[in-house]
Amino acid sequence: MATPRDPGMDHTSTLEKVLRGVALTAIAVFFMFPIFWILLMSLQTNETILRIPPSIVFEPTLSNYTALISGKLTSAAGTLDIAFMHNLWNSILLSTLSVLLALLLGVPAAYAFARFKFRLGEFIAFTLLSFRFAPPLLVLLPLSLIFQYLGLADTYIGLIWVYQLIALPLILWIVRGYFEDISPDIEHAYRIAGHSWLNTFLRIAVPLARPGIAAAGLLAFIFCWNNFIFALILASADKQPVTVGALAFVTASGIQYGQIAAAIVLSVTPTLLLALYAQRYLVEGLSMGAVKG
Amino acid sequence: MTATDATSPPASAAQSPARVRLLPYLLSLPALLVCIGILLPFFTAAYYSLLRWRLNLPAMKGFIGFDNYIAFAKDPAFWNTVYISLLYTVLTVVLELLLGLGIALLLRQSTRLNNFISIMLLLPLMTAPALAALMWKLMTNPNFGILSYFVSLLGVHDFKWGSDPHTALFTVVLVDIWVYTPFIMILLLAGLRSLPKQPFEAAALDGVPWSFVFFRITLPMLLPYIITAVLFRLLDSIQQFDIIYAMTQGGPGDSLVVFQVQAYLMFFQNTNVGKSAAMLMVLWLITNILSNFFIKHWLRLRERAHGHA
Amino acid sequence: MALRLQALSKSYGGKTVIDALSLEATSGDIVTVFGPSGGGKTVLLRLIAGIEVPESGQVLIDGTDMTYATPDARGIGMAFQNYALFPHMSAYDNVASALTPRKLGESEIRSRVNHIVRLLKIDHVMGHKPRELSNGQKQRTALARALVGAPKILLLDDPLRNVDAKLRYEMRLELPVLLRKFGSTVLYVTQDYKEAMAIGNRIAVLIAGRIVQVATPSEIYDRPATVEVARLFGDPGINLFDVTPDTDGRVAIANAQLSIGAEFASAAGVPCVLGIRPDAITVSQTANGATFPVDVVAETPLNDRSVLLLRTADGKEVLAALPASAAGTTPIGAAHAAFASASALMFDRARGLSIARGARP
Repeated sequence: MATPRDPGMDHTSTLEKVLRGVALTAIAVFFMFPIFWILLMSLQTNETILRIPPSIVFEPTLSNYTALISGKLTSAAGTLDIAFMHNLWNSILLSTLSVLLALLLGVPAAYAFARFKFRLGEFIAFTLLSFRFAPPLLVLLPLSLIFQYLGLADTYIGLIWVYQLIALPLILWIVRGYFEDISPDIEHAYRIAGHSWLNTFLRIAVPLARPGIAAAGLLAFIFCWNNFIFALILASADKQPVTVGALAFVTASGIQYGQIAAAIVLSVTPTLLLALYAQRYLVEGLSMGAVKG
Repeated sequence: MTATDATSPPASAAQSPARVRLLPYLLSLPALLVCIGILLPFFTAAYYSLLRWRLNLPAMKGFIGFDNYIAFAKDPAFWNTVYISLLYTVLTVVLELLLGLGIALLLRQSTRLNNFISIMLLLPLMTAPALAALMWKLMTNPNFGILSYFVSLLGVHDFKWGSDPHTALFTVVLVDIWVYTPFIMILLLAGLRSLPKQPFEAAALDGVPWSFVFFRITLPMLLPYIITAVLFRLLDSIQQFDIIYAMTQGGPGDSLVVFQVQAYLMFFQNTNVGKSAAMLMVLWLITNILSNFFIKHWLRLRERAHGHA
Repeated sequence: MALRLQALSKSYGGKTVIDALSLEATSGDIVTVFGPSGGGKTVLLRLIAGIEVPESGQVLIDGTDMTYATPDARGIGMAFQNYALFPHMSAYDNVASALTPRKLGESEIRSRVNHIVRLLKIDHVMGHKPRELSNGQKQRTALARALVGAPKILLLDDPLRNVDAKLRYEMRLELPVLLRKFGSTVLYVTQDYKEAMAIGNRIAVLIAGRIVQVATPSEIYDRPATVEVARLFGDPGINLFDVTPDTDGRVAIANAQLSIGAEFASAAGVPCVLGIRPDAITVSQTANGATFPVDVVAETPLNDRSVLLLRTADGKEVLAALPASAAGTTPIGAAHAAFASASALMFDRARGLSIARGARP
């Protein structure tokens, strides 16, 4: 299994190669199949879906998607309004704004943590880190009561604020590392050349940390988008993102499996695409900097 | 030096430009606000856990100290929650570790095929766990689910997957494995690829058997990554909510009521603020102990990755 | 006074790195700061630049107290040891960065930058990014960036250190000319004593956070203030003998009585260290005048000279340096060594301080 790389001679026997091929195929199938299958389902009419045995060969249809996008579900029982597109829009809005805000607040803070040693910084870093591992409900349940109090219960702003709990620690930890990797003398040289602190931060530090900032932003977006429990508890019906919306959709539309599948496909595609785009930084982001990919 | 000393107050601090000293505080103000935004509800929850308080019985609200916790200790439902949570955690982490390690070893060499596969394997990890649960729910539907069909081909008919208390745990563990194994895999893969080549080349030259190489060389060097991956997963698994809630809402019956699901139900179904808060504090205690141990280890790892202390 | 440092002190984690240091430089003065590594040279520059803040003391630039002023307010140019060029900007933008904060026009900036990069012979690489430049080009770009703003004070932190030997030698000749042309007050840090002597009008010797001597190169060489300074300047290093002069100004070396000058009679009975530079020692086969017996053990060429390794009867090793033309003329074996008494340098053994002729130690 753990054969070291030897460019000269091939040490693996044919049996090993076959076993390895079989194993890899099985693994690839296991992990890729569900996505593939749901995609297929989304292109099938209900009757195709309910057919037994299930078949890969069928006539694909886009009716599920058109129903979702148009927001109208016409069936034998009549026409049902689907609010799923609204969920999609909520996801886009919440994730984008939350990440933008988190970047705006987090990048300067990450710089402060990287460049200065101050007790408040250690405290903040430690708190945010330890609450990364704390049960979200612990904070969410009281928040749901507090939100009613403060009138934030039915607002985007309330949600964007709460989503900072997801995005901000991530951005802080990843971007901090990138700032630390910049030699301080480079910033000093710019200061000595006559530039203010702010100019140095904007023209030197941030551009040099840009890959990290982009990676952190992308990852934070994915995490915000995929979030379920925050939205479940704090989002009112018309502010729900796709994660909660898809679940509600299942209960509401009951038998419209093709559309459920299409809804899942639409909900999952953005993050999958982003993940492919940002995959270089994923290892580092997921381990919050403990492992560099 | 990675930090200027501009803010460590020297003896003549009084003359230091105030603006420079204030700068880091100004910059981290928002992060501080977020911290407060976390700590306030936290302490509120801690306080609630000491109350008898049901939202639909406001008149009975009162301070009862640790009674909620004591009641837990005597409550078989609580211990059921503990048991299921631990079972879920152990099953998922162990299976994901074994599977993730195996895959990482298979993909160890940096070939185009291997790299392509490892990228593709990221996709389940990037799927929202709640949506992954939905996907699997569709696939395990007794009427048209493809998996039900496959299983029937093996002679097992009417496999109830998530609707049967006996098979529900198996089903959600399966979903968890699908979503989170790639996490362990990419961490261990990064670790494997960063290992120095010499020990392995030397072992190959000396004709050392692979079992020795694996257990005595590879594994020990991989240990920090394994510990990181396992601890991340332990901490996330014991608090699992999305997958279980999306799949069965904790059912059927109480077969899947892990900590957070149980706390959620206690709050939103029974409106019992006190008990749900107490349950969450118990969970927090467990995760805090684990994460404290982990944070020390993790910070050391992070510094190593960034090349300075 | 263009630059005045007054009793500067700086410590890191309890360890004192700069110890009550005072130094003055007039406008246009070129001062080399020389000393062994760890002596605090880089920290000193950083204190002057404003990158570090002292615990006590003052930094005065043109009479204004700049001790706690931010780096951008000091009117300083600095070239770092590792260049510290901005990797994401072209070499041109790197140099121009020192001018952009001032409200000059685009064309004015361009002409000033072009002027200086032409002087430093890097005008042809201005379009490149730093990672595409050689060490020598990077160093000169960093220098251009430091100079282009015509700063009052120029701080150069061992700029020739990472440059290859041939270029280093060239720059050692060109730099002083260039620096004098600009007229800034220059503090030039180096660990190479020959560089220190070539570049500066004066040398400030910095050892363990203290300035031990500030003088012209010839003074430092001929009249070092301490044993340490004498040891640092000279290649091969100075010969040191533990002696105690008698009332006639004579000392005992290898059982021979040699005179170092009656002026040292005032040091009679005081334990001292006698220093004789290798080029002041002559070796001959005959014992005329005041000599001490040695054994010629080996001969090695060193730069433009030939170095003889001598050993006295009591096992002490002495180095003598001959001009290259005399190489190979000294046979191995017993010989006699001598030195002119005028070349003797005397130091107090307890504190290492030099004893001037005629002075009481």
